[in-house]
Amino acid sequence: MSKPSIDKVLVSILQRRYKSITEEMSIALARTTRSPILCEAKDFVTGLYDAKGRMLEQCENLPILAFSLGPVCEYLIEYYGDDIHEGDVIFHNDVFSMGNQNNDVAAFKPIFWEGELVAWSACKGHQADIGGAVRGGYNPEATEVWQEALRIPPIKVYEKGKLRRDVWELIFANIRLDIVPEDMRAEIGSCVVGERGIHKLMERYGREVVEAHKEHLFESTEKMMRAEVAAIPDGVYHGESRAYYDGKNPGSVYTIRVTITVKGDEIVFDYNGTDAQTPGFVNGTYTSSASATLLTFLQMVNPDMPHNDGMIRPVTIDIPQGTFLNAAYPAATTYGNHLCPNNADAIMRALAPVIPDRVTAEWNELLCSLTTGIDPRHGEPYVDIGFMGLKGGSGAMEGVDGYDHIGMIDASGGVLDQDYEMFEQQTPHRLIRHELWTDSAGAGRWRGGLGVITEFIIGNDDTQVVTFGDGDVEPAFGTHGGGEGALNVIWLEYPDGERYLCTTKDLVRGVPAGTLYHQDAGGGGGYGNPHLRGADKVASEVRDQVISKEAAREHYGVVVNDDFSVNEEETKRLRG
Amino acid sequence: MEYKIGIDVGGTFTDFLLTLEDGSSQIYKVLSTPRDPSIATMAGMGEMAEDRGLSLKDFLAQVKVIVHGTTVTTNAVLTENGAKTGLLTTKGVRDALEMRRGIREEQYNNRYENVRPVVPRYLRRPIDERLDYAGKVLTELSEDDVRQACELFKDQGVEAVAICFMNSFANPDHEQRAAEIVAELMDDAYLSVSSTVLPSIRFYDRISTTALNAYVGPILRRYIQALLKKLDQAQYKGILLIMQSNGGVISPQAAQDLAAATLLSGPAGGPKAGITYGQVHGQDSLITTDMGGTSFDTALIKDGKPLVTTEGDIDRRRLALPMLNVVTIGAGGGSLGWIDEGGLLRMGPQSAGSLPGPACYGLGGEKPACTDADLVLGYLNPTFFAGGKIPLDPDKARAAIKTHVAEPMGYSVEQAAAGMYQVINVNMAAAVREVSVKQGADPRDFPLVVAGGAGPNHACMIARELEIPLLLVPRESSIFCAAGMLMSDLEHDFVRTYPGRLMDVDIGRFKDIFSRMREEGVRLLETEGIPEDRVKVTYSLDLRYVKQYHEVNVEIGANEVDQGLLGAMAERFHPAHFELFGYELSDAGTPVELINMRLKTIGKTDKPRFAEEEYFGADASPALKSSRQAYVPSADEFQEVNVYDGAKLKHGMRLSGPAIVEQVNTSTFITPEYSLVVDRYGTMAIYLPAKEQEVLGRIGQ
Repeated sequence: MSKPSIDKVLVSILQRRYKSITEEMSIALARTTRSPILCEAKDFVTGLYDAKGRMLEQCENLPILAFSLGPVCEYLIEYYGDDIHEGDVIFHNDVFSMGNQNNDVAAFKPIFWEGELVAWSACKGHQADIGGAVRGGYNPEATEVWQEALRIPPIKVYEKGKLRRDVWELIFANIRLDIVPEDMRAEIGSCVVGERGIHKLMERYGREVVEAHKEHLFESTEKMMRAEVAAIPDGVYHGESRAYYDGKNPGSVYTIRVTITVKGDEIVFDYNGTDAQTPGFVNGTYTSSASATLLTFLQMVNPDMPHNDGMIRPVTIDIPQGTFLNAAYPAATTYGNHLCPNNADAIMRALAPVIPDRVTAEWNELLCSLTTGIDPRHGEPYVDIGFMGLKGGSGAMEGVDGYDHIGMIDASGGVLDQDYEMFEQQTPHRLIRHELWTDSAGAGRWRGGLGVITEFIIGNDDTQVVTFGDGDVEPAFGTHGGGEGALNVIWLEYPDGERYLCTTKDLVRGVPAGTLYHQDAGGGGGYGNPHLRGADKVASEVRDQVISKEAAREHYGVVVNDDFSVNEEETKRLRG
Repeated sequence: MEYKIGIDVGGTFTDFLLTLEDGSSQIYKVLSTPRDPSIATMAGMGEMAEDRGLSLKDFLAQVKVIVHGTTVTTNAVLTENGAKTGLLTTKGVRDALEMRRGIREEQYNNRYENVRPVVPRYLRRPIDERLDYAGKVLTELSEDDVRQACELFKDQGVEAVAICFMNSFANPDHEQRAAEIVAELMDDAYLSVSSTVLPSIRFYDRISTTALNAYVGPILRRYIQALLKKLDQAQYKGILLIMQSNGGVISPQAAQDLAAATLLSGPAGGPKAGITYGQVHGQDSLITTDMGGTSFDTALIKDGKPLVTTEGDIDRRRLALPMLNVVTIGAGGGSLGWIDEGGLLRMGPQSAGSLPGPACYGLGGEKPACTDADLVLGYLNPTFFAGGKIPLDPDKARAAIKTHVAEPMGYSVEQAAAGMYQVINVNMAAAVREVSVKQGADPRDFPLVVAGGAGPNHACMIARELEIPLLLVPRESSIFCAAGMLMSDLEHDFVRTYPGRLMDVDIGRFKDIFSRMREEGVRLLETEGIPEDRVKVTYSLDLRYVKQYHEVNVEIGANEVDQGLLGAMAERFHPAHFELFGYELSDAGTPVELINMRLKTIGKTDKPRFAEEEYFGADASPALKSSRQAYVPSADEFQEVNVYDGAKLKHGMRLSGPAIVEQVNTSTFITPEYSLVVDRYGTMAIYLPAKEQEVLGRIGQ
């Protein structure tokens, strides 16, 4: 059957194949890495890029990695010029040359076909150690990058198929754990899987056909994104949000200022006016901050959109260097990813009046803890990232309640909390409570997601508790008449009854066995006037103890009888 | 005459395979009756009786075994129509069921809501009691709390009670005592106790499974009792067996006790059937595919064993009982074609279902489905769909494709239909790829066993996409799961958690745990009529390297258990880990950790024997029926293609693609790259030229 030179069916098929290849790269990486943050939490991204560094497809696992490879790929192409050869493998993590986070080390493999560069396969995962002053790379005391990590500006570890043993050994001589080189080998393996997939495509359809259809795929996705942007009323919108405490100066506050300009089918996120970088590690990099911007925006458009270059063409992100979202050399930046909730907050505030049907109220901001020590049952060390405690609620949106116990917007429910019984096997602690938190959600016609309360008894002397995050000063905002979510807090109650309130960037040493660890992860903001929420629904939530009777009356104007039916008369009176 | 019947209740059709002593068999299909599935079940058997000029009673008198796959539990969960359930759990953790460890499956979709828990919060009652990680009592059970909860449950009309306490895998006492109290106070309640249902570590997995079991328990109990009554009225004296998600069958009583074991039994017959059909061709490693009306199921079988998972989900709720690992995607005959905002063609996952169905059914469907495309492309015969029972209207198919796909793309109807066909094939190929690469397997090494009404029309294209050189299309492909049920054994799975370093295990305790599970399994099989000497027992361990989060299930030998050969068990773990994950740590000396001990008892059932056909010679022309224009993808054009009558294709006959084989309930499209030969059981082996010698050799030609 005669067809136009562009076969639209082939475009669909090409899209599915690119996706399939990146998924296969992702499976390969998850299967072969050993650090739990890679194989368990899936803190990695795999992607394919064309010869010009344009994203063909991505499998990001966690939304915060949505944008973390593309800028690096462009940088490499410029950096190496024509010094790119078949068989090269390039590593990169440097946050001052488009890296997103020191621990996220990327592997890039240029893909050649008939002697010419046709594409790149790449992946990037959070490595268990990256040198620097502190094992694991998380150093709240850092003020400059070298205290945090070994910098890897692009470097070829393979050149024309040959391992550069000296380079390889230089890198890994500066990294503590043996599994890191193994996990980086796994990244190379994943790139090879991507290369194989691209070769198959070339073999089957021929380079010219693939190239032509690829352009059409970009255009198709671009068209989707432009239609989404065009549906936002033209205008200039401002949003502000605050990040609290830089880890150095108690009471310090930093403001993100974003100006969003929508003109026709293009959108610009401009962060001019954002506060200057902090003296400590509470700083973002361009790439991590732009990723946060993008993932927030992607949650406001059709979630079904392919992730390729076309998707980002109508979007411009300008983050001036020297602000705390794009800190200048040689700042410490390990905290950068955790500024995502603050960034999302500013964007939601700016767009809430404009696209009320697509924004959410604010999500609970991350507050996380880490406990480490020696398990007295067998005398061996343990490390526990407190995923259980940190999952607050998401913000509500028009028509939908917030999601309970989902956690930070950067993962959007992509990271699971620990299983309670495994927690008690793998740490010496004993779980007392892990429950949805009554009245923690912002009230609203659509309420925010509920936060959770977590309590456990610390099981070993000399435990170290590290905290990092935010959300203890300013609650998640509600929108369009919705209420605020509850605040985050972590405190320790020592066996003698004394209570210590942790700061949001804290390091508490020598915590004794028998101490009660308590964490409140707050709820998300509500959406719309709570008086418009169905009274029956409110009553059933009172029965479920999601809302207290008092809050039902005070915030929702619903009076609930002892049998959990609605007191119609009183409710009518309150609701007017 | 002695009959056996396999019955698979599907969303659209209830499939039956009737087998006779002489090895012959017959397929029946009746429309399902979702409100009371036993109506269709009885109707199908009524049809069988009628065909033999017998009353139902006289017919059933000759039936020895009925194996029944039921979806009543599955549907109860999918439609949230289970029993009103109460849950007793340790104070402080009652929300684990609802929180699902904090996952949101669609991360960019803020409109994606959590699933409703099967027990609402006010019926999840916190009980004061506590065991430590090793099962030692820290807080005694508050019997008052249990009693008060029961009062509330009775008040609220609760029909089923689930009990799951922290760390009860290590000590069932509190749960068992609470169960006694519940039984005493609520004598009709269906009881689901976690230390009985799934005594293994991982609280969310256990509480979710136990609650699901309670939620569907009364539903299955009612259904089975109604069915037993109907069979009893028809004076059926044979055996009734129920299909489970693990690919085994159980007695109706055992099924009622562990209702959750049937939750994902629907596709479980497929891999079992695949194993049987593969054997004839000397293939014990293969991939099964089953493309029905709305979904496409695929599973990997390695060395004669289907993959088993304990991390299954039903509608996003964890079901941690062992089940066959079947991947399902939304691709079937009813999958709708549509154009997305970017102008690209997509297929599914939305489906036209059976009502209104694809446009060509003429039942009011206006949107174009996969079946419409298959019809336009000439793969389906409009007057011979379902043996002519459902006349297809090509004009309606064309009109739907034209409006919704062809015109928006600026394509002809034929081009659009070809596009729909290719896109859905690529989607299915991706699922097959996923099921294999996740296990570290290369799909090219695995023959594809093809099933489902819509499957054989698409199979060659899926195989081509994945470079799979051999496909097997059994004669019973349209009722594959029903056939699989007749090939299933009685199987019971048991698990106990014994956490710790493998080499530090107390051999006495270890053997004792196994022997108790064994006793339980033997006793259960005894009640199902299997004497101890016919019981097969398999042992396995869930092992991992210290500090890992997931275990690998490793089968171990009975002698290793008897002699306490822990080292030998560890030796089995390293290569298994290597195969799955590409590395192992035996040289590094990393200790191996034991989590769960598992035991399976198998009672062999008598399998139907499939009749062997005589060799008819290679000439397929006696089966040639006609020819018609059909789309040949590799040539990208319509060609005149030979159409064969599947009923007349006999052992030994060979033909080359492009060709179409029509059977009553399915039709197979053979692309030009492939050739076909019929084996002695009527299975069509479809192969690439490179495989010809091997295929012909293996089936004895």
